[in-house]
Amino acid sequence: MTSSAIISYLTFVYFLAFVFYLVMMVMGRRLPGTLATYTLLGSFAAQTAAIILRWQESYALGMGRAPFSNLYESLIFFAWTLVLLYLIVEWRTKNKSAGAFVTPLIFLALAYASFSPNISSKIMPLIPALKSNWLITHVITCFLGYAAFALSFGFSLMYLFKGNDSANNTASFLRLIPARGILDELNYQMVVIGFLMLTLGIITGSVWAHSAWGSYWSWDPKETWSLITWLVYAAVIHSRLVRGWKGRKIIILCIVGFACVLFTYFGVNYLAGLHSYATS
Amino acid sequence: MEEIGKVSNPVWKFFASVKLTIVFLVLLAIFSVAGTMIPQKEGAMEFVQRLNPTTFNLMDFFGLFDLYHAGWFRFLIAMLVLNLVVCSLERFPSAWKRVKARPSVERTKPFEELPDTLLISTERGYQEALGNCLNLFKKRFSAFRSEETEYGTFFLAEKGRFSPLGVYIVHLSVLVILIGALAGSFFGFEGFVKIPEGETVDSIMVRGGNQSLSPGFEIRCDKFTVEFYENGSPKEYKSEVTFLSGGKEIEKRDILVNHPATFKGITFYQSTYEKVAGKELRIKLRKGLDEDLETIDAEIGKKMELPGKEGFFQILDVRHMGTVPAALVSVEIQGAEPTRFWIFEDFEHIKSRLPAQMINSPKFDPAAFKPYTFLLLGVQERYATGLQANQDPGVPVVWAGFILIILGFIVTFFTSHQTIRMFVENKGKKTVIRVTGSASRNRPALDRDIQRLAEDIRSLFAA
Ligand code: HEM
Repeated sequence: MTSSAIISYLTFVYFLAFVFYLVMMVMGRRLPGTLATYTLLGSFAAQTAAIILRWQESYALGMGRAPFSNLYESLIFFAWTLVLLYLIVEWRTKNKSAGAFVTPLIFLALAYASFSPNISSKIMPLIPALKSNWLITHVITCFLGYAAFALSFGFSLMYLFKGNDSANNTASFLRLIPARGILDELNYQMVVIGFLMLTLGIITGSVWAHSAWGSYWSWDPKETWSLITWLVYAAVIHSRLVRGWKGRKIIILCIVGFACVLFTYFGVNYLAGLHSYATS
Repeated sequence: MEEIGKVSNPVWKFFASVKLTIVFLVLLAIFSVAGTMIPQKEGAMEFVQRLNPTTFNLMDFFGLFDLYHAGWFRFLIAMLVLNLVVCSLERFPSAWKRVKARPSVERTKPFEELPDTLLISTERGYQEALGNCLNLFKKRFSAFRSEETEYGTFFLAEKGRFSPLGVYIVHLSVLVILIGALAGSFFGFEGFVKIPEGETVDSIMVRGGNQSLSPGFEIRCDKFTVEFYENGSPKEYKSEVTFLSGGKEIEKRDILVNHPATFKGITFYQSTYEKVAGKELRIKLRKGLDEDLETIDAEIGKKMELPGKEGFFQILDVRHMGTVPAALVSVEIQGAEPTRFWIFEDFEHIKSRLPAQMINSPKFDPAAFKPYTFLLLGVQERYATGLQANQDPGVPVVWAGFILIILGFIVTFFTSHQTIRMFVENKGKKTVIRVTGSASRNRPALDRDIQRLAEDIRSLFAA
C-alpha cells in the first residue's frame, strides 16, 4: 500500500476517534474515552509509518528527500505534530476532554490533504531553491508551532464553552471540561511553546531565504503574515502581565492568533491568486 | 518600584505601560495586514491604473504602495522600541534586585501549614538525622546554605537565580535585530550581474536605481551548467566563477542556489540564467545566389580571406535579435570603406516577418558585397549566468540577535527561580524534618521535586 493510501484511510480513523471523544463527553462514560485514546494512538503509529514509508518512496523514485516539501506533505505533518502534542497533553493532564475539540482539526487537515482536488499527493522532485537543511528545520519548527497554536485554539474554545458558573453545569459535556483557571494555564503553555517554535520558524526561514535569494526579509505575503501571527501572540504573552487581563480578552486574542495561523498557512495562496485574478 | 524618581515624568509613565505595548503590537499587526492586501511596489502598477486620481493621491501620500518603508510605519516601530526600552529600564532594577537577593536561611514561616506528605517524623536522634539529611541535600544540590539554631537546622538551596533576566535578553535581542536591519538598509546594497560564460565583468548594477557600482575586483564566469529532472523541472543551477583582482586570479568558486559565495564582503547568489550567442559561428559563402563556394568556421574578430582574394572579411559581433541568432559581417578591401551588414540564421524564414524597408536596407542584405552571398548556418550558444550581488553588513548583527532571542526564550520559559528549603527540628526524643519551596514559574514541577525529596527522606528513616 502506498503512503497516500494509508493516509486517506487514516482520515476516517481520526474521525472515529472524534466520535469516541464526543460520545465520552456526552455520555460521561469512561469506556468511549479509553477507546478514543487507543484509536488515536493506533492511528498515530500508522501515520508515523506512512510518513517514513513516503520518505522511502521518494528514495525509490531516485529523489531521496524529506517528506515535508509541499502542501500535501505539510498538512500530513501538521496533523502528525498535532496528534503528538495532544497525546502528550492528554497524558500529562489526565484529562481527555480536549480530544473532542482537537480531533476535528486533525480530521479536517487529513481530509483536506487527501480529498481536495487542488492538492496533489504525488512525490515531486525538489527545485533547487528547496534543497536546504534550513528548509527542513524551518518546516518542522513552523508546524510544531502551528500544532501548539491549534491546541491553544482548542483550549480557548473550551474556555468559552465552560462558562463562568461551573457549579450549575450538570451536563456531563461541561462537567468533563477542566475549570477555567486550568484551561487558562494550559492555553498559556501552548502559546509559549507555539511562540517559541514560530520564532524559530521565522529565524530558520529567514536564514534559508538569505542563503537562497540573498535577503533574509523581503516582506512577501507569507513572511508578513507569519510576522503578523507572531505579533498577535506576542500581544497574548504580554496581556498576562497587565493586571486584570486574565481570561476573556486573552482568549479572544488567542482565537485571532489562530485565525492568523490559518491565514498564513492557506489564505496567503489565495491572496496571490486574488491578486492575479483581479486584473483579468 | 514607585520610589524611582522618573515615574513622575508623564512621558516616561506613558511609555512604561505594557498596555501600550499590546496596543502597538496589535496596530503593527493590523497595518502589516493592510500591506498584504494593497499591492506593493512593482505589483501596484496595474492596481494603480484602476484607481481614480484622488484615491491614488491620497494613498500615495500615505505611502500605502510601499507601506513597510513608509515614514509612519517606521515611526510606529520606533515608538514600539521606545516603549520596549522604557519598560525594560523601568523594571530591570527590581529584577536585578531579585537576582542579587540572598533570602535568609532561618525562616520558620514557609514551613507553617505544610501538608503531611512534606513532614517526616523520626525516632532517631537529632545529630544522626541531621547528618543523614545533610548528606542527602548535598547529593541533590551542588550549592546550598545552612544555618544552625538551638532548636534545629535550616537548609536553603536556590536554582535558576538568573531566570528573571531572560525577559531582558529577549527584549535586548529585539533591539539587536532591528539595529542589524537598520545597518543593512543604510550601509548595504542589492545588485545584479549578468556574465556570459568566458567573460569578465567589473561592475554591479544596483537595484532601484540606474547606477552601477565598481566592487574593486572582477568576476569571470568560467562555466554555467543547468541540470533537469526527468520530468523537466530544474534540478540544479551551477556557476563556476573566478574572482580576479587587476586581472590576476584570486579565487575559484562554485555558486549554486542555496550555496552563495562571498568575496571581499559582497555575496553572490545564483539567481537567473539565459542563453546568449557564443563567439564561434559557421558561415557559408555563395557566389551569386545559388553557387555554393565554401563553409567556414569563423570566430569573432578573426580575419579571413575572401575566396577570390579580393580582400578580407571578419565577424564583428554575434547576438540574438529577438530569438534569432545574427552576426555582423565586415568586408574590408584595401583602400575602400569596409562594407558592413547583418546576416541571420534561417533568413528566408524571418524575411516574411520583417518590415519592407529593413529587408531592402543594405545593412541587412546578405549579398551587399558582390558577387558573394553570406549565409549564417549556426552560432555556438553559451549561457550567461545572472547573479544577485548583495552587501549587507547588518547580517551578522541580525544573526547575533537571533541567537540571543533563542537564549532569552530558553532562560525565560524553561528556567525558573526556585528556592528549596529544609528544616530539621530537634524535638528531644524525636526529630521532625520539613521540606518546602517556591518557584517563580512552573510551580507544579517544583511541587513534584519537593514531593520526591520528602519521599527520599522518608525512606532514609524507614529502615
Ligand atoms: C516592543 C515593546 C515591548 C515592551 C514594551 C515589552 C515589555 C515587556 C514587559 C514590561 C515585560 C514584563 C517583564 C517582567 O516580568 O518584569 C515583558 C515580558 C516579556 N516580553 Fe516583552 N515587551 C516588548 C516586546 C516584546 C517582544 C517583541 C517580544 C518577543 C520576542 C517580547 C517578549 C517578552 C517575553 C517572552 C516576556 C516574558 C513574559 C512572561 O514572563 O510571561 N517582548 N515585556
